[in-house]
This record gives sequence, structure tokens and C-alpha cells, in this order.
Amino acid sequence: MGLETPAGPAPRPAEAVDSGTLSLLGSELLTLFRRRRTWAMIGALALIPILIGIALRLAGPAPSGRGPAFLSQITENGLFVGMTALVVAIPLFLPLTIGVVAGDSIAGEASHGTLRYLLIAPAGRVRLLLVKYAAAAAFCAAATLTVVIAGTLVGLVLFPIGPITLLSGVTVSIAEGLLRFLAVAAYVTVSLLGMSAIGLFLSTLTTVPVGAMAATAILAVVSQIMDALPQLETLHPWLFTHYWLGFGDLLREPPVWDSFVDNAVLQAGYVVVFGALAVGRFLTKDVLS
Amino acid sequence: MPAHDTGAARRLTRWIPAIAAPVAIGVAVVVVPMQANAAVDLPDLTPEELLELAASSDVDALSGTMEQTSELGLPDLSGLTGAMGGRGSDDGTAASATDLDDVVSLVTGTHTARVYLDESNARLQVLDPLAERDVYVSQQGVWVYDSRAQAATHVTPPPAADVEALKAELEAWGEAARAQVEAQYGAPLPNPGEVLDRALAKLDESTDVSVGTDALVAGREAYELVLEPRDPDTLVGSVRVAIDGDTGVALAASVTARNVEEPAFSVAFTDISFEAPDASVFEFTPPAGTEVTEHQVPLPSVAELEQWKAEAEAGAVAPEGMPRPVVHGEGWSAVVELPAGEGGAKGLGGEASAMLDGLTTRVDGGRVVQTSLITVLFTDDGRVLAGAVTADHLLDVAANGR
Repeated sequence: MGLETPAGPAPRPAEAVDSGTLSLLGSELLTLFRRRRTWAMIGALALIPILIGIALRLAGPAPSGRGPAFLSQITENGLFVGMTALVVAIPLFLPLTIGVVAGDSIAGEASHGTLRYLLIAPAGRVRLLLVKYAAAAAFCAAATLTVVIAGTLVGLVLFPIGPITLLSGVTVSIAEGLLRFLAVAAYVTVSLLGMSAIGLFLSTLTTVPVGAMAATAILAVVSQIMDALPQLETLHPWLFTHYWLGFGDLLREPPVWDSFVDNAVLQAGYVVVFGALAVGRFLTKDVLS
Repeated sequence: MPAHDTGAARRLTRWIPAIAAPVAIGVAVVVVPMQANAAVDLPDLTPEELLELAASSDVDALSGTMEQTSELGLPDLSGLTGAMGGRGSDDGTAASATDLDDVVSLVTGTHTARVYLDESNARLQVLDPLAERDVYVSQQGVWVYDSRAQAATHVTPPPAADVEALKAELEAWGEAARAQVEAQYGAPLPNPGEVLDRALAKLDESTDVSVGTDALVAGREAYELVLEPRDPDTLVGSVRVAIDGDTGVALAASVTARNVEEPAFSVAFTDISFEAPDASVFEFTPPAGTEVTEHQVPLPSVAELEQWKAEAEAGAVAPEGMPRPVVHGEGWSAVVELPAGEGGAKGLGGEASAMLDGLTTRVDGGRVVQTSLITVLFTDDGRVLAGAVTADHLLDVAANGR
């Protein structure tokens, strides 16, 4: 794995940590986005809008009020392919890929026997966790943007496009609409951060990456099932999946930012709790591989 | 074993952040709201003064977020409507199942809506997940928009001149109708001025009115008006209204069933601002691809009004020829009865009556739908009785007609 050893005369400590962290992050991102697995997952995510687009192109318009949200609007305005694909991808496909990346972060290195080399650098363990988490967060953004951008491009190719009708029945220009879609991508990225922290923590528990990946993805599904059970209503606002489909609030006029804020606060809570747990576990762990 | 001890101690030290973070979050979540509420202490008011404050409220512009929760203790309807949706074919049945879904979803669970109000416009924006329902009200008419169905309904008022001409007549008629309603239900309509005193006196016969604990509602200090029925027959335990200490606007209201802690129905602002919202939030033009239904409100002629007035005074049959619902008793335990054959069972097909079977429980003399606040009785002879009373009381009314 790309481990950067400080070369030349030692710079001042703070700078050393900074540049060391940055180069570690750089090499981590490079490793992540050079892996074939990462590209396979991104390709699979891009396939969702492509399939939706082709299916609708062949089968004709969907009746309104059926199927995933925004589906019936696609044939009138192709720009909605991205939103429909997002609605389809959020419950399972996105968490699955995030689970793979986050669950693999520490356990993957441990199973390859590369973890101890990574820890030789000064200020080792916490920094490594931070870098691994940052890489997972970067993948969250990449995965979400893939779905939105691929969807928008597919819509552009296969369907007529035009000014975008928001949920409130207000029509905005294409430029503003695309900005809103970017805001939605940001929302979804933020919603996945808590799950990434859980994945990171699980990844510090084991040296079997598949275990951590599966556990993370399963937790996301379990959380969504709990969110659907009215008997557990008091728990709902605390589930990390609770606001996952709340991005619709950004497609209203005027946009409602409450759920964006609630979601960000909730995810920050998960990041703090599971980040702290991961640090506690990783600092006290005997790294044998 | 000193080395071992320090090792263990260091391990423990390293777990400190992991333990501290959840604890800190827990404390923040539990303690901060409690302290916020404890800090609220408005100058004491008597119920009369509080009602006057509410009545004198002259807020005509606001925007805010409302949350509505219903916990009526209805039987689980989700499976039922799902089944109906599945069975519904491509004709009207599917639509009616969706409508039923809408109704069911409104009386169960939690809904969030934004409200905008200025001097001449109003807008209600119901924030459904990935969908929205909007009601735009302006002097030019009312738009109702449903994003899921991509359908809009436009209700236009009659021409302004005609309205002016009828206004005086309507006002006179409204006075009479109100007096009649008040006489009939015993419950006062909220009105400023001298009506208030009379209303309070009347209210006191049936209801214990008091001022509850001050609390923070939507970030504002609010009084709580508590209405507790004195009537032993009703299921209603209390009605609570939070009234803004500053402006007198009602910020929250809830209805709690007897012997239940959680409110069966509550609606409350979670945030509110009294600044006039931007005019653009009230603008609506149906987007392309929307199915638009136009409705013109027919303006009744003076003669028609006269006729209705006469009928209202006589308490006789309504214009459509439908028997007027009969109200038994008064106050909190009033029971409304729909006579046999009309309105109640009429128009319900086989599917609907099958649905009725699934919802109701069999009792001696009919079928009963029981919720924590409202009971509905379908008698075997086709009458429908409803009220905020127990099933036994309804059966009693059905049998004795009082």
C-alpha cells in the first residue's frame, strides 16, 4: 500500500503531520479509485439510471402515481432519470457499495497483512482512521454523483428535456433545477456518512473484510425495516436511515432545509459516536497483521 | 504486576473518548430541551384573560412549519388499503383506493406541513415523502395541487360584483345560522367581544376551563389553555391549546382521550415567524403535463338563500333531499345520527361493505368502530351514529333515541 515516508530533513512537527496526512490521504484515494472493484461498483450504480431510461424509452410513459417517485415525469422531462435512479438506489445499492468500501477500510488492510506497515508512520492510528474515513466519505460522494450525473446524461440522450417542475408544482429553469439536483447529491452524500462511520468501526473489529462489509450493509437494511415499523415510532428519528429519502424537501418551492439540517445533525452524531468507538477499539487493538 | 496495571490503565484511557461521546450526546439531547422548558415563566393569567388575549390576536401574516400527529387507536388499515389497491383494476377502483389511502394516511401517523399567510393569500404545503400536496388560496380563487397524481384543481369564486350584492344577505343569514348552531350544539364559536363572556359562561356548564403550565412551543413562550369536559359520558379527556404569550396566536392544539397519556390528535407549530412571507410563495401556475380540473363556485341567489334559511329554521330536510343528520344530546357527549338508507350505507359497494366487516366489531344491535376518541355505530337497521362517547352510550342512544 502507498505509504509515504518523510524524506529529507525533518520539517516542523505540525507540518510533518499535515503533509504526511495529506499525502497519506492522496495515496489512499489513489488506491481506492485505482481498484477495479471500485470501478465495478461505480459502473453498477451508473447502470441503474441507464436501465430505467432504456426501459421507459421502450415501454413508454409510466402512469402517474405508480412506481418510484418521479418515474412518471421522465418521459416529459429526461432530467428526472437521475432522481428516479436515486430513489431506486438509496435503499439498497448505495448502502451496499458504501458497506464494501467502509467495511474494507481497516479489515482489508489487516487481511492483506499491510496494516502494521501503515502504522509505522508517526501519529499512526488515529490518523490512519481519519484518512480511511475520508476516503470512504469521498467514495460516498463519488457514488451519489455517479447516479445523478449518469441519470442526467441518460435523460439528455433518451428524452426531451426542459424546465424542471418541482414537487410544489412550480417550474424552474434547467440551470436552477440542475443546481437543486447537485444539492440533492450533497444531501444523499451526507446521509451516507453515518453509515460509513459504522462501517469503519465494524472494520476495526475484525480481520475478515467480508464480515464487516456484510454487517454494515445488513445494518442499513435492518435500520430501514425498523423505520418502516410503526410500533417502533419513538426510535425512528434516531435511525441513521430515517432521513435517507428526505431529499425531496430540496425539490420544493421554497426549498425546505429542515430535513437537510436534521439529517446532518443525526449523521454527525453517528460519526462522533462510531468514530469514537472506532478510535477506542483501534487504539487498544493488538495489530498482528 | 505494575506493568500490567499501567497497560490496563492506558487501555481504559484510550476508551474514554468512545465512552464520552455517546454520553455527551445523550446529555445534550435530554437535558437541553428540559432546561429550555423549565425556563418558561409568563405572567399568570386567568382563563378569561387568556381567552381575551387569544381573541384579540390580530396576526395576519405568518409562515411556519406544523406537525400533525394522530394516534386514534384505529385498527390497522395499511393491509386493507394495500389489498384494495392490488385488487383495483384500471378503472375508477384504483383511484378510489388511492383516495382511501390518502384519507387513512391523514388520520394515522405524522404529517408535516408548512403554512404561509399574508393579508390576502394563504398557502398550505403538505410535505409528503418525495411528494407534496398544496393548497393555494388567493382572491382569484383556490388551487389544489397534488404532485403524486400530477393533478390540479382550480376553484374560482363567483364574480366580485355578485359577491358584494349578496354579502349583506349572507351576513344576516350567517348570524342566524350561528345562533342556531350555538343553540343546537351548546359549544360556542370563537368570537371576540361580548360573545366571549356569554360563551365562557356557557362553556363553564359543560367544561372545566383552566390555564396549564407555560411551555416553549416553536421556540416561543406560550400559555396553555386546558379544557376538560365535565360530562362523564364523553371519551374526550382534555383539549389543550398553546397560546403564544406575545401575539395570542394558537401555536398548538391537542386532544387527549380519557385515561390515556399521549394525545390522540395533536397539531403544533415546530417553528413560526410572524414576518410576511415573500409574495412568490403564493404564486401558482399549473405546470405543463398537469391534469387541471376547473370548478366555478355557483353563487346562490337570494331566493335560494331565503329558502335555505327557512329550512334551517324549520330544521327540516336539506336541499338535496337528504335527511338532515339528527343530533342527540349536547356538549361533549353529543351524538350525531344519520337516518337509515341515506348517506351512511348508501353508495357503499360490496367491496366497501367487506371493508366495513374488517374494520368493525360485532356488538348486540350493530357493528362498532371504536377509536380512542370517536365511536361509530352502524346499527342493523341501517342507521349510523357517531360521537365522542363509549359504544355503550351509542347503543343506548340508538335504542332509546335520545
